[in-house]
Amino acid sequence: MLFFSFFKTLVDQEVTVELKNDIELKGTLKSVDQFLNLKLDNISCSDESKYPHLLSVRNIFIRGSTVRYVYLDKNMVDTNLLQDAARREAMSSRK
Amino acid sequence: MSFFGFDTSLSGQNKGSNRDSRKKANNRKSKSPEAAMDFEDTYQGFGEHEGEEDDYLNDETFGNATELGADFDFGYGKGELEAVGQSSVSQPALNRSYASAATSTGSEMPMSGYHTGPAHIMDDGMDFTPMESLWTNQPRAMPPQQYQQQPEVQVLSMEELERQQQLQQQHPQHGYVGGVAPPPPVGYGYPPQAFMPQAGYQGMPQNMQQGMPQGLPQGLPQGMPQGLTQGMPQGLPRGMPMPMPVPMPMAGPPQRFSQASHAVQHQQPISAGQQSGQASFVAPGSSQSPELSQQSATSSTQLPTTKSPVMAAPGLFPQVSKPPQSVSSSRGQFVTEQDSRESTPRGARRGSMRKPQEPLSPEDLKRLQIRQAKVDKILRHSGVMTPRDKDFITRYQLSQIVTDDPYNEDFYFQVYKIIQRGGIVGESNKGLIARAYLEHSGHRLGGRYKRADVALQRMQSQVEKAVTVAKERPQKSRENLDSAKEGVLGKISSARNSKAPRRQLQIPLQKGDDEDVSSSAIEDVVQSMNGVDISSSSKTRRRSSYAFRSVDQRAVLSRSGGRKFVLSLIETVYAEVLELEAQLRSGKETDSTELWEALHIADDAYEVSPFISILSFDKGVKIMPRIFNFLNKDQKLKLLYCFFSELSHLNIIVTSSYKTNPNPSDSQLKKLELFQSVFLKIIVSFLSSSAEFLEVLGLLLALVKNNNVSFISTSKIGLNLITVLISRAALIKQDVSRGNVLSSMEASSWNEIYDKLFTALETKLAVVFPPDEYTAKVVTASSSGTVTSATAGQSQKHQFYDQSYIWQFLASLALSGKLNHQRVIIDEIREEIFGTISRAEQLLSSTPAEEQQIAMYQRDKLYQDLNLFLNVMGLVARDGEISELK
Repeated sequence: MLFFSFFKTLVDQEVTVELKNDIELKGTLKSVDQFLNLKLDNISCSDESKYPHLLSVRNIFIRGSTVRYVYLDKNMVDTNLLQDAARREAMSSRK
Repeated sequence: MSFFGFDTSLSGQNKGSNRDSRKKANNRKSKSPEAAMDFEDTYQGFGEHEGEEDDYLNDETFGNATELGADFDFGYGKGELEAVGQSSVSQPALNRSYASAATSTGSEMPMSGYHTGPAHIMDDGMDFTPMESLWTNQPRAMPPQQYQQQPEVQVLSMEELERQQQLQQQHPQHGYVGGVAPPPPVGYGYPPQAFMPQAGYQGMPQNMQQGMPQGLPQGLPQGMPQGLTQGMPQGLPRGMPMPMPVPMPMAGPPQRFSQASHAVQHQQPISAGQQSGQASFVAPGSSQSPELSQQSATSSTQLPTTKSPVMAAPGLFPQVSKPPQSVSSSRGQFVTEQDSRESTPRGARRGSMRKPQEPLSPEDLKRLQIRQAKVDKILRHSGVMTPRDKDFITRYQLSQIVTDDPYNEDFYFQVYKIIQRGGIVGESNKGLIARAYLEHSGHRLGGRYKRADVALQRMQSQVEKAVTVAKERPQKSRENLDSAKEGVLGKISSARNSKAPRRQLQIPLQKGDDEDVSSSAIEDVVQSMNGVDISSSSKTRRRSSYAFRSVDQRAVLSRSGGRKFVLSLIETVYAEVLELEAQLRSGKETDSTELWEALHIADDAYEVSPFISILSFDKGVKIMPRIFNFLNKDQKLKLLYCFFSELSHLNIIVTSSYKTNPNPSDSQLKKLELFQSVFLKIIVSFLSSSAEFLEVLGLLLALVKNNNVSFISTSKIGLNLITVLISRAALIKQDVSRGNVLSSMEASSWNEIYDKLFTALETKLAVVFPPDEYTAKVVTASSSGTVTSATAGQSQKHQFYDQSYIWQFLASLALSGKLNHQRVIIDEIREEIFGTISRAEQLLSSTPAEEQQIAMYQRDKLYQDLNLFLNVMGLVARDGEISELK
């Protein structure tokens, strides 16, 4: 649940999602679920000439398993808290 | 035919399907002519038994009744769609009501030609044969009477339809009667067989249906009783109700439905019922009433006209829906109601219900057609799930993401939100989830009446329920039952799911016992590595650090138990702190003894206290403020005593001393910064808030007694620490002397300790000033990297080494000393004083005109720092001169 919890804090922030097929989409994260499926709004594709079909798409639902990478702004992450959360997760799995 | 492509109906002399043979008892002995194997040799006699109780469902289960090669359409039949299109073209007039409704209702989704029937009609059945309907390919039949019975033209929105459906679910009604469908399910993609069960339904005691959870398959219990009541060993699948509403009226004009469209599309209208149980189906029809039979006849009007090769004799059908009168009284009611409905002349009825017809303009017609197509598209799968189904699924989906213990399972999000809001706990977790889920599912508008609040409330109650489900989850998994229900929503691996994803690395977890073993093993290794004399001395641990310089960080670590041990110690400390913080949040009493144990402060087993080594890691430093939250004053004092006693081992002292680390790197400077901002701050606040005079003296004594003070004074952090201690002592002394006088014992011990400190520093006071090469390196490192407090300057380009900490130290040293002490200090650092003054004066003359301002700033800073010290002795440096302070 750590990543789910983490991505929930990114809702309404702008992120760039790189998919496993190399498409990179920048947009506002609208929601995320436990499978880390993402819903983006106001998306723009970083390589529009290569994927012109995405020009007319405004919002998109991305299946979590197709995501390779999510680029975040450094300021969106509280690394110390994230460390704590990771430790808690490890603690609870150890129990 | 079957779904899998076996022609099971040919089972007798066929391709040797064992399954089939088993099914058909009478054919089971026959051999397949083409079979390579002799069937008798392989057959194990499974079919010797008479058909078992539930075998009568086999045909349905295996789809025997369906034609080979049939195209299954689980949605809204394609042919039907076409038919609808045609219908609007060919008979626009009949679509009148729809058309006007469409134009008048604007954006609302009009249900084509959809009319509410009498209340009981809307209420009845959401059922039909589940399996049977799957196997057949027909678009569902449109019982024409529906249209006749429509009392008025009422266009329903999806929301209304759903609401009505909910109503139905709340008041389960009698069986499904005669094809009068509840309005909502328009576009339900169920094939016509769906209404076959009507017969079964009617034949059933009404109460059988009531209270049946709608979303669950209820087929068996219902289908069976029916067969029993009628005394028919028929094995009819028709009694199986579908959890869903049945065939519904179509958007198109009624007439088209009953006639043209069905005639065109229905290729296998009755297959399932026909082949398997249809015969028996017919049987009970002995007591049919004319009206009913008419109704069912109309409902299946299409049958005779279809091209189905397996078409039943038309005569069968009228009988089919005729329920035995004796079964239940409620059914009787139905019959009468239907009678009355039926008796109304069709034309008259419609005339009375429909709006006056107006001729349609071609544009209207065109618009109508487009609209129709759109609506059909939308409706194609709409209503496949009832609101209750959706609720059910939503609840299960929610149960995956909600938790009744948010701080445990959703720690990051919860705490992050609290930090973001500045400590104010905002909307409840459940409320947030409900809101988010609403947005997610697109229901946020709240339906037709824009009742977003209602929608939110509903979702919140869903979340509540989901939490309950989530609470039940762990117990279920213990009993291995979770897959049962979770499977409802698809395949969910019990071993791996979103909560327990597959791990890339499998790290064997150490048990507590192993840890002890390994740490003592490390100790052994460390001891053997360090040579005999150290291992022998480790028994009588030498806290004093005069003997060795702790330059080599690895050596320090190994003397305190090894790097791995220290790192695992830090993790243990974190775990304890997190645990304590969790207890604090839930309002429980906290017990810091375990945390205290984990810090190993009072542990003499190691040459260097593991606590000192903890501080050589950034994360170890960062956790300190949180540790301090849980320690009592006594523990804090012990901790600081340990800290000051072994200061020379502290990694940060070593790296911040120009003697041991003449080339500070950027990252080392950052570490230094971190230590200052975190740990130094704690010490200062502890000393100034709760430490007694004697306690401060005790710490100072520990520092002086156990450490090489002159070495420590070459490091910035060390100097800072000494400054903190003596200035604090001096402050308390002044405070106390104002009130009650310092006891003679206190005063004398202070003098004693100060003398000790001064003796340790005497003749080495000049070394507190780092050489120019060192300061130059610090300036380059910090101006290329991040600006640290080690340097000062107005801009990134014009950094210079900040010596204020040195002058602060000298000032507090002089402040507490007597006149002879001050004289010694000035003698020793005379060169530095004059050097600083001359540097300040040179700045103005040597810098170019455009940087005068920067030079002025630097000069002022130099004088300011210097005067910090000089003022203590009543002197002041100004414009290159030292004069007495007036």
